Parts: sequence; structure tokens; C-alpha cells
Amino acid sequence: MSTLHVLSHSPFADSHLSSCLRVLGSHDAILLCGDATYALTPSTTARQTLDAKVGSLALFVLDEDAKARNLSLPDWVKSVDYPEFVALSVQYDKVNTWL
Amino acid sequence: MPKSLLIISRQSPWSGPSAREALDIALAGGAFDLPLGMLFMDDGVLQLMPSQRAGALQQKDITANLQALSMFGVEDLFACHTSLAERGLSPTELSVEPLQVLRDQDIAALIDRYDQVITI
Amino acid sequence: MKFAIALYSPAHAPSSRRALLFAQAALAGGHEIVRLFFYQDGVHSASSNVVTPQDELDVPAQWRDFVTQHQLDGVVCIAAGLRRGVLNTQEAERYSRPAANLAEPWDLSGLGQLHDAVQAADRLICFGGP
Repeated sequence: MSTLHVLSHSPFADSHLSSCLRVLGSHDAILLCGDATYALTPSTTARQTLDAKVGSLALFVLDEDAKARNLSLPDWVKSVDYPEFVALSVQYDKVNTWL
Repeated sequence: MPKSLLIISRQSPWSGPSAREALDIALAGGAFDLPLGMLFMDDGVLQLMPSQRAGALQQKDITANLQALSMFGVEDLFACHTSLAERGLSPTELSVEPLQVLRDQDIAALIDRYDQVITI
Repeated sequence: MKFAIALYSPAHAPSSRRALLFAQAALAGGHEIVRLFFYQDGVHSASSNVVTPQDELDVPAQWRDFVTQHQLDGVVCIAAGLRRGVLNTQEAERYSRPAANLAEPWDLSGLGQLHDAVQAADRLICFGGP
């Protein structure tokens, strides 16, 4: 079984991202949307934590949120639109949104 | 086979109605005899502290409702070891039982086991 | 695939618009939405009393149009709605309140409808927070 974890809180404000990362399964993926996309900001602890997972973590970002924030994405992160978000939620066995 | 649902409660009992509303989902599902689990994590473990006095804030006591979970058929109750340790809570002094305290990797396996998840 | 979509945030939260766009994309992709369930602050996303500034996206109106157009099952949790002042005519009368702010296409019902949707769907997708 695999889980798509969806995050939308800023990584600088609370523990959503760090809590998600510590209970992440080996087949799981993360979709960053809303302010959670700020985790990709260069030179931040959040970005370094994510970069350390290159090769072991499937990381997606909602395209409109990255664009709105003018974030440049690392090449290992895949940006998705809404049809692709729907496709991911079909591909993974369940979706866990961290409200 | 009915689908199983894991409810992950991450809110302190004093931060508004969220903790109670997460609990209400569990109680409603228990009434339908559905396979449910409830995991307390992050500030959610603060719900499990003994001897809280809701009356001091003119609120209803959530502890009694938590203790009623097993009577409502929600017997799979879990707490996050890391979150307890971060908040200085000992697994032996909690107000709800039966309760399994899980390490991070066991929580990953727990989430994996359920069909659907709601994290509040 | 059958989706159950639960919304926990009010119309002004980005996550309410995100839920709407996800739901639209799901139907456009040939999927089915067995139920929309609005819980916690999500009940505000169904309120007919939200007035959006003219130059902003009117998310509550879009939700209403979307549910009506596709004849979806749009359920607002009654306990969460009462607590937050989102009432239909029947509840406004029951509690002697001066106005109702919930109408067609929305139904007020209990949390059992969320569990029922989880059982009927292949996926539960929740939206909330910012």
C-alpha cells in the first residue's frame, strides 16, 4: 500500500512537514501545495531536509502554487496540475491530507 | 468487507473544536460498527493528559468522551511515542486505555494498514 | 474511480478553491464523486450569505453552480453547521434564528454521511487548512 501525503502549511510555521517526514512509508509520496511549497525555497532547513531525500522520496508540487510564489524547482521535483493531482490520487492507494 | 479508516488527531484539546470534531468522527463511525482506528500525534497527545480540568475554561470534558471510545467500538487507539516524549509525557500516565504507543516507523506501517486516513 | 471529497475550510481559504478545482478535474477526467461532505469550517463554504468582492473569485457561488450542474450529493455536517451559524430554513425555525443561510443544492445531515461516503468511494480526499 502507498500513501500520497498532501501538505499545505508553511514549513516555517509549524510541524506539519517534519511530522509527515518522520512517519513517511517507503512507498509514499508528498505533494506540496499552498504555503507548503515554500519548503522548496533555497538555503532553508526545509529545503535541505528535502534535498537529503533525493532518490528515496517522490516529491510533487502543485504547479499553480509554485508559479504564484515564483519558486524555481529542483529538477528532481515534479510539478503537477489538477488533472495530474487527480491521477496521483488514483495512482496511490490513499491520500492523507495534513489539515 | 467494510473499509477501515484511521483518524489522526493532532490538535490540543484547548485549541478550539478541532479535537472534539475529530473525536466525533470516530464516535459516529463506531456507532456504525465500522473498523476504525484513532492515532494521537503532535499536540493531539495532549488530549491524553490525566487530571485536566475543562471546567476551568467552561468547556466540556473531552477525557470522558475519549474513555468512551472503546465502549463505542473504537478499540484501536494509538499514541505517537515521539510526540509524547517531546511533550514530557510518560506512556504510563495517560488517561485513555487500551492505548498502544508507537514509534515513528510503526506509525508509517499503521497508516499503511488502513484503507483511508483523515488527519485533523 | 469513485471519490469522496471532504472539505474542512471556509470559502476564503485557498484549500476551498483547491478542493473545487480538484473536484472539477476529477469529473472532467471521467471519475465519479459519490459525495461532497463539508465539515468543520468547511460549512462556511456552503453559506449563501458570503458576499465576495466583485473582482475576486466567488468560490461559494462556484461550489453551488458545480454541485447543481452535476447534480452532486452535497452534504453539510449539521452539528458543525449549527455551531458555526450555517442553518437551513428548518434549523433556523427550530432554534428560532432570524435567518437561514443554507439552501439548495446543499443538504444538512450527520457525520454518518461521511462514513457512508468513505464506504462507497474508492478514495477519500480531504481539503482544509491554508
